[in-house]
Amino acid sequence: MSDIIVNGMSFSLPLFIIAVGGIYSERSGVTNLALEGFLGAGAFFGAVFTALTAGMFAATSQLPMYLSMVVAMAGGALYAVIHAVLCIKFKANQVISGVVVNILAMALTDFLTSQINAGVLGQSSDKFVLNVSTRLTFQPLASLPVIGGFFTNVYPFEFIIIAVAVVAWYAMYKTRFGMRLRACGDNPYAVDAAGCNVARIQFIAVMVSGALSGLGGMCFAYSVFGNFSTSIYTGYGYLAIAAMIFGNWKIPATLGACLLFGFARAAGYSLIQYLGLPGAYSDLIMILPYVLTLLLLMFFSKNNRAPRALGEIYDKGKR
Amino acid sequence: MKQNRKGNSLSRAFVALMGSEKRQSITIPLFAICLSLIAGAVLMMILGKDPIIGYKSLLQGCGLLMKKNYAGGKGLLTDFMSYLDIWTPMIFAALAVAVAYKAGLFNIGVSGQMLIGGFIASITVGYSDLPAVIAKPLVIVICMVIGALAGSFIGLLKYKFNINEVVSAIMLNYIFQYIISFFILTFFVNPITRQSNPVGENARLTLQNVQIAGMKTVIPLGFVLAIIAVVVMHYFINHTRIGFELKAVGANKKAATYAGVNANKNIMLAMAISGALAGLAGATYYLGYLSSIQPKVLASTGFDSIAVCLLGNSNPIGIVASSFLVTIISKGSMYMNSSVGLPQEIASLITGLMLLFAACGVYIRARPKRTKDRLDQQDRLEAAERKDSASEEGKEDDR
Repeated sequence: MSDIIVNGMSFSLPLFIIAVGGIYSERSGVTNLALEGFLGAGAFFGAVFTALTAGMFAATSQLPMYLSMVVAMAGGALYAVIHAVLCIKFKANQVISGVVVNILAMALTDFLTSQINAGVLGQSSDKFVLNVSTRLTFQPLASLPVIGGFFTNVYPFEFIIIAVAVVAWYAMYKTRFGMRLRACGDNPYAVDAAGCNVARIQFIAVMVSGALSGLGGMCFAYSVFGNFSTSIYTGYGYLAIAAMIFGNWKIPATLGACLLFGFARAAGYSLIQYLGLPGAYSDLIMILPYVLTLLLLMFFSKNNRAPRALGEIYDKGKR
Repeated sequence: MKQNRKGNSLSRAFVALMGSEKRQSITIPLFAICLSLIAGAVLMMILGKDPIIGYKSLLQGCGLLMKKNYAGGKGLLTDFMSYLDIWTPMIFAALAVAVAYKAGLFNIGVSGQMLIGGFIASITVGYSDLPAVIAKPLVIVICMVIGALAGSFIGLLKYKFNINEVVSAIMLNYIFQYIISFFILTFFVNPITRQSNPVGENARLTLQNVQIAGMKTVIPLGFVLAIIAVVVMHYFINHTRIGFELKAVGANKKAATYAGVNANKNIMLAMAISGALAGLAGATYYLGYLSSIQPKVLASTGFDSIAVCLLGNSNPIGIVASSFLVTIISKGSMYMNSSVGLPQEIASLITGLMLLFAACGVYIRARPKRTKDRLDQQDRLEAAERKDSASEEGKEDDR
């Protein structure tokens, strides 16, 4: 039981912060299928940072991990500029732009990873190995019966994610900027009439989306993979999109969706271990989140209300 | 002032180059291709290789240029035929993306539809002893039917449950990938290659080890089918009523419904046709170019086909040209890697950049028009000014 909670939380929270990134972009009216590319690009920047500075820190130091998360956020925001420019400045089809950004991220990080490995670090490898993250256990809370799992073997990044998510929630619902951002998604012309720069708000929203996805991607790189390689593109970005749609583009509800995905996955793995089935059966567990997504979307997407101007190309002269 | 004139002549050249709006459907993709090839050349130079040799090796790897030397029993024809072999699934896959795109849908699930079609055809016909005359057509039919079912399921989710087709297609891609991987690893695995057992020669759509003019080569039967598919799709999209309805739904769903077109039926139909074409791509890929399926891997053809479709303006004839080019880059990269020593990843990077520039198409399209409008206005103003100064000769210019 405690295993399910430990694994469930360490999967759900990175997924959640990526989905929050998606919410930022979509509530501002820019369709974002590029989360997958953002998280990969962000994690790439973070991993490059740790690989290049590996000699500067003590081997057991946890500092590089925290720094790499900051770098990953910056890198994700930087990479998101491509999507923002394509959608907002060049007025490209936002769905196509998202897919293009994903494909480009995969090609670019694959190429650069092997090039940096060969050129700078002098080894032929297609991945950056990351340090093992410490895990914290809080006594005596950890020995509590059922909820003890929430305090056992916790990754430090889980607290970072919770802190960032609270800030993101506050910024979106309690500040003037957040209100304008949400208004952009519903009626950009009204925002324009009120004297705000719609393009700038959307641009910032997409970059925030990239930063949060970058953070989530780096956390995945540390927890699920333990390294950075192109295997990070396993569709978690799309899973986050599904969680966002299921959560009706609202931050608290999306957290619920992410927890559901994470715990379903963790429970499946525990079940396989418990029954002692061969490794190939884990493939069947892998599909659980995806099947769950489809089923949930079938039941809930009819009642969902997407931001009204989502995916519309904002043209100032149209008003 | 002089600076401005120089800028003008550049703008004028740009407008003349991009041509009228009709010609732009060709000039814009060409523009995107040129930009990405230049970017690729710059990359090759950064890596310290001659880009001309690099691009030449791409052509040599595809049997379009003579290599310096060949191994015994191989020649230009060998390379060219194996190039046709891998080009075939690309044409089908790009047609699949194009048909959906005409109806305003984005089928990113081509890879998954290829996989499930190829897998079911492999385990039913591929492992049987049916005579080749029956087995080969049967493979094609099964792949088309399974692909069409998988495609129309996405269409069903779209119109019945309002699920974005991109999200559902991606979810299905992963579901197919893992379920099929489970079945292959549990029931059909080849212990040595860790792939599925190879299908029999009777079911394979590519004839192996054929001797032509003393050279050992393959004969991709699917290529003929691909050319037929291009012609049929061209006729279907441009010259039939159903094709017109599809395009109407894609251009404006509300207007099409108002005009009496059943939009939901057309969404289903477009996805079914798209899926069937993806199934054909799967047949020619898994039971033609390859003979077995690697578990947990989706064919990159399905994703590259998006680039091909965008570059080819989702026009069947354009797709033939763009798939020809993209396949050269991806297939030739292997030989480029071994002969010139450039990393193979550069190929997918060039394709990705092509996609990026092609996605800017709307902006590039608007640009020449705006520049042209500005230049025209400027011309008019200048002409008026000249007239003014001619008529008001003698008076001092107060500007």
